[in-house]
Amino acid sequence: MIIALLVLLSGLAVALAVYRIVSGPTHTDRVVALDILLAAGVALCIAAAMLTERTVFLDVAIGLSLVAFVATMGWARLIERTPRSTAPEAGAKP
Amino acid sequence: MTMEWTTVAGSALILIGALLLLIAAWGVICLPDALSRQHAATKAGTLALALVCLGAMLYMADSAWTPRLLFILVFLLWTLPVASHLLARAAMAEQGLDLTTGRPAQDGS
Repeated sequence: MIIALLVLLSGLAVALAVYRIVSGPTHTDRVVALDILLAAGVALCIAAAMLTERTVFLDVAIGLSLVAFVATMGWARLIERTPRSTAPEAGAKP
Repeated sequence: MTMEWTTVAGSALILIGALLLLIAAWGVICLPDALSRQHAATKAGTLALALVCLGAMLYMADSAWTPRLLFILVFLLWTLPVASHLLARAAMAEQGLDLTTGRPAQDGS
């Protein structure tokens, strides 16, 4: 019951974060939405571990939180160090 | 009796954490600019994940689960403030604000 509620609320959070990733006006918005998307992913991993009662999914959650930190740090440094020309939309070459 | 108590407390913590996660995502949608969205996502998201981890720890109450969930909790509380700070710097740089004064930068920052 509580696991179904956790999955439902995390799924709603994933939907809102995906909307912000698609329609974010700046690159920072997309990275912030990616951060909250991966946080919801960690919550869903914990829900999967509780549902199946196997601790393997907790190891997945550990790896996902590590990847989330490294990805957020890398994108934020890239956005910060991108030289601004005129428009904010013109920055961040991948 | 004690099993019942931990299940109820764990369920309550998981429910509060999931609601906070939804509120954080809603703040990412509704707030006006990138700096405010960063505040909503990282602060509320950190508390939400910490509550979900604590709730799962109480709900399962197993010696194989507690160290892993504790590791996730400590790692998140350790790294998410760093990510928040870097996102705030990126948001200010993208809006063309100077990082020390908070005013619009003059030339080529």
